[in-house]
Amino acid sequence: MFEAKVFINQREGGEYYLLGLRVSENLAKKFLPGQFLKIRVSSTLDPLFPRPFTIHAIEGSKLYLLYRVVGKGTQILSKILPEEELKILGPLGKPFPEIKEPYIICAGGAGIAGFGYLLQKTSHLPLKIFYGVRTKEELVRVNFYEKFHVSLTLVTEDGSYGTKGLVTEALEEELENKFKKYKPCLLACGPLPMLKSVLKVAKKYQLKTFLVLETFLACGTGFCRGCVIPLRKGGYTHLCIEGPTFLAEELDLERVFS
Amino acid sequence: MKEFFLNLGNLKLNTPLMLSSGTWGWGENLSKFLSLAEIKYSIGALVTKGVSLEPKEGNPPPRIAETPCGLINSIGLENPGIKEFKAKYLPPIKLYEIPVIVNLFGEKIEDFVGLAEELKEEVSGIELNISCPNVEKGGILFSDNPKLVKDLVREVRKIWNSFLAVKLSPVGPVFEVAKSCERAESDALVVANTYPALTVLSFKPLKILKGGLSGPAIKPLTLRLVWELSQRVGLPIIGCGGIITGKDALEYLICGAKAVQIGTANLINPKSVAEIMEELEKLLKTYGLSY
Repeated sequence: MFEAKVFINQREGGEYYLLGLRVSENLAKKFLPGQFLKIRVSSTLDPLFPRPFTIHAIEGSKLYLLYRVVGKGTQILSKILPEEELKILGPLGKPFPEIKEPYIICAGGAGIAGFGYLLQKTSHLPLKIFYGVRTKEELVRVNFYEKFHVSLTLVTEDGSYGTKGLVTEALEEELENKFKKYKPCLLACGPLPMLKSVLKVAKKYQLKTFLVLETFLACGTGFCRGCVIPLRKGGYTHLCIEGPTFLAEELDLERVFS
Repeated sequence: MKEFFLNLGNLKLNTPLMLSSGTWGWGENLSKFLSLAEIKYSIGALVTKGVSLEPKEGNPPPRIAETPCGLINSIGLENPGIKEFKAKYLPPIKLYEIPVIVNLFGEKIEDFVGLAEELKEEVSGIELNISCPNVEKGGILFSDNPKLVKDLVREVRKIWNSFLAVKLSPVGPVFEVAKSCERAESDALVVANTYPALTVLSFKPLKILKGGLSGPAIKPLTLRLVWELSQRVGLPIIGCGGIITGKDALEYLICGAKAVQIGTANLINPKSVAEIMEELEKLLKTYGLSY
């Protein structure tokens, strides 16, 4: 594990925080978009396992993570102050696959985090980004995403900002109106019900879809074989070494969502 | 680096630390996280993930859940089967030039004998996982029946001359099983496997995970077993249960273990074994102890 010094850990809105870690430039260079790292949030034995976070952005030797407080680990992390040192492990997992076709990003909640670093690094920007949350306080880092001059559709379930409804409804409307002939790929990250809806839309328009999945990870290194994802051809793949991004058609989706 | 030699039957260890079964994958990612120097300096033996005669895809998710100071796992003994293990996974593991012990499991005694036959001249030792059901005895766990364990070890012993250890379950007639292993000429006991446990994952719908509990939560329980067994059984004991630090390892060594296995710690930090070894050496120096 490597030492990283916290230089920022601030609430962005809702339960979302931006964490900045200073590491060696060599280490920072090793991360590719879509990969993740693990952070030991406490030196005590509970919680025992480091928590995984996708890379949100990198500037030189500064790593940025965008996270939502969801449990004990992230609760502890949210209380960490600048100048504190944390132990991290990474890069882990596989980067986003290289998408050659035009593509649309669909993100729900904290699922937006990893696409920041993709936008920073890629020379093949997405056609559009759909970013949905429950309410306007949860729309975070919008200024950062706007910098890339990619069409950004903001969606809130309660209509408190941007388009009202579900992010997948906005996606479907867009596809219905404009993209029938183009058949873009979809790259989606968010809660399981959202991903399920993305797949319904993808099926309707027959779009190749990549899903960024989450599950509880113990090791993150392939050591424990705990984070299995059922495959359509039978058997399992392991999220921490073969994921977290998968081509939807290769997965046994019924079991993934059960 | 201190010179350390421990003879456990035919097995010679250069350090008292082993990597426990199922906590370092199939070794394919080990050198991504540990340098060769760290591996040689800190690891006395590598105990592979459990292997069976036929491949097993393992249990459906969820397979793991964190509990206070512990981990419950129900991996379901995912493995490629002995043939593919020998062809694909074992050769790179042997390149580390550290004794390799293969963890074996089966549904009946002949399965274990067949597995041992396949490994003759191939590896330094075998570790028998007896926390699995015996289909010929109505599904009773080997570890629940001392006579069954004695028969198992005797039959495997007939064809296996190198190092043979039995990994005890921490529950059931542990002391009687340990005596059976001694009578059947096992070389060592690994004390112990994970504890049967359960955690509630969600209330509505009700989701639970049943599996084996490991990690610091179990250390005091297994440490007591090591202490008691070391007083009652003549076999060398390899302690295994919740070792996260060099201090934990030293506690096991002081309480009667000749060597220890590092398991869950590898999942927290893949460099754990190197850090534990470094700390252990410092502690031994501090307290003027040797192993």
